[in-house]
Amino acid sequence: MMGNEHTLVSVLTISDIIQRNRIIDTLLHLSSLRAEGTQPYIAAPRLLGATLDSQILRSSGIGLLLYDDKRIEETIKPEPIHRTTGTHQTSPSSSTDTTLIAELAALKLMCTELEKNMSRMMTEIKSLQESGTSSTTISRDSDTGRALGLLQRPDATFQTGVLDAGALPSFFTNNPWLDVLSKKGRAEGPLLAG
Amino acid sequence: MITNNYRNHYTFGMDFGTSDFKFGPITCGENPHIVNNRGYFPDRKSLVYRAFESAADVIVGDEVPLYLQSNEDLTSRLVYPMKNGLIDKGDESAWKVVGALCQFGLDAFPATANNGFHGYNIVASLSAVSPRYMYERLLELFKHTHSGNVRAVTVIPQPFAVAIGHGVTTCVVIESGHGNSQICPISKYPIGSAQVALNRGGGDANAITAEILKDSGYGDLAGEESLVRRVKEGIGLIPDDLDSAITEAKRAPRKFRAKHKVPGTRVEIDLEQDSWTRFLIGEYVFNPNHEIFESYFSRGMSRPRDVKMGETTFRGMLDFGDAIITSVEKCPVELQPMLYREILLSGGNFSWKVSESMEGVAVDAPTKIKSLLRKKGIKNVSVKMTTSPQFSVWHGCIIYGFAVPEDYEWDWQRLEGWMRIGS
Repeated sequence: MMGNEHTLVSVLTISDIIQRNRIIDTLLHLSSLRAEGTQPYIAAPRLLGATLDSQILRSSGIGLLLYDDKRIEETIKPEPIHRTTGTHQTSPSSSTDTTLIAELAALKLMCTELEKNMSRMMTEIKSLQESGTSSTTISRDSDTGRALGLLQRPDATFQTGVLDAGALPSFFTNNPWLDVLSKKGRAEGPLLAG
Repeated sequence: MITNNYRNHYTFGMDFGTSDFKFGPITCGENPHIVNNRGYFPDRKSLVYRAFESAADVIVGDEVPLYLQSNEDLTSRLVYPMKNGLIDKGDESAWKVVGALCQFGLDAFPATANNGFHGYNIVASLSAVSPRYMYERLLELFKHTHSGNVRAVTVIPQPFAVAIGHGVTTCVVIESGHGNSQICPISKYPIGSAQVALNRGGGDANAITAEILKDSGYGDLAGEESLVRRVKEGIGLIPDDLDSAITEAKRAPRKFRAKHKVPGTRVEIDLEQDSWTRFLIGEYVFNPNHEIFESYFSRGMSRPRDVKMGETTFRGMLDFGDAIITSVEKCPVELQPMLYREILLSGGNFSWKVSESMEGVAVDAPTKIKSLLRKKGIKNVSVKMTTSPQFSVWHGCIIYGFAVPEDYEWDWQRLEGWMRIGS
């Protein structure tokens, strides 16, 4: 706290990058606490900096701190929030907050719905595959060669993945190259997000 | 969205190994899919081809066995484009196979455009000794053939990918495949000028195994390459010291007896009193300079020769110890100790079994490398096998594609960055 101003900092760690919705949750949490403070920040590992969208942070007035073992840098300044004295007064920024929160909540809901739909589709595809396997018959189609070909050819389409949406494979864990490579093409000096 | 979910889903790795093509998007998790790095050019006049009338000019992937015909046919129609890690500039058949494999890999993982998909970010990996024209041809393939499924492409050297996949930023990577081996020091990026290539790999171990089979009375089997490879894997051993191992094996022949039964057949190979020769198989890969091999060369076995391919000379007779030292000593002196402290072995040619009862006489590949370096006065050494030798290149491709910023554009001088293909 400096003078009359408060600073809120939500710290993300490397492990947060593999958790679904972690960053959205953090942003929602910061937004919900904005009435209590005027300087909201997300502090993220330098590695994560390249994956954050600076525009969204700027538009929501949330600052970004990037840190590593050696230093912490303020990459985006937060937009100050002015406290209102009366309940009837609403500033443009608090109105934006409400809209943003509503939009994020809607996005979260959509994401959950999509996951449910995906899961249902996977179950249906599996049951279709099983029924297809059990009812294999040799076609009497006049183009016997082609029919045999279709039956014998291996299926070249694989499942698109085994990981949950947003999850990363285990070989990402503690891999120092993520940090090294994320700086490719970046000039020495403060990192820019997004 | 705030996080860049795109790279979480649409980063795609392609590892062009000498014998296998490993491919798949990040969502495959730990293991990519594998098909042989080969293509078959069917005889358009044959009945089989007519039956599959929709067949392409070149067949790749799991369908290849459906088209195979006589053995004589295989040598001309079955093409392994990267058998030596390199493709000649004018070898159009080989480039056709590579193009077909790229398409096969992408078609195997279709993504729908209405799901925010604008094409994969593809990281392809080639041999460290690949000349610039291979990068040009590969990138051209993606530019002209696959624009619908590809957003951006980049190419990285295989040893670099191994180091990334293993999570080590300063190291020496030794990649040994069927046809050749590459020694590549890495300090945040491959030190290209210090690379050493050897014209020796798993195929040479097969060659000495065939000679041993002939000498032991199994000459009729020595011509079957796949059988010889199985025998090599079944009985081949790496000696810590060849002379001591031969003495020990001759002293206790029962303990070191080499027998191999071919599954599903009546064929059983038993080297009996010649079982000590099993140590020659491993030694030959690591050091073909022992005088005992002269008798094989004098009887007609080809000596591994120095070969110039592209701009690289592949050394034939340099042992692995000297090759590592030659490579490391081309690097700055203060970097050298750090490189010796992290030597990574990758590739199928380093997967050798060691029975507990033979410990101390027969050793694994890392121990042999340490032993070769110790004999040349290099002592503070750490040698490891990569945790996932088969897939470490693909792992490296995926991490590279995920981490490198998308606005880092392809640079022909540095041979790195993203070449934008689609929207």
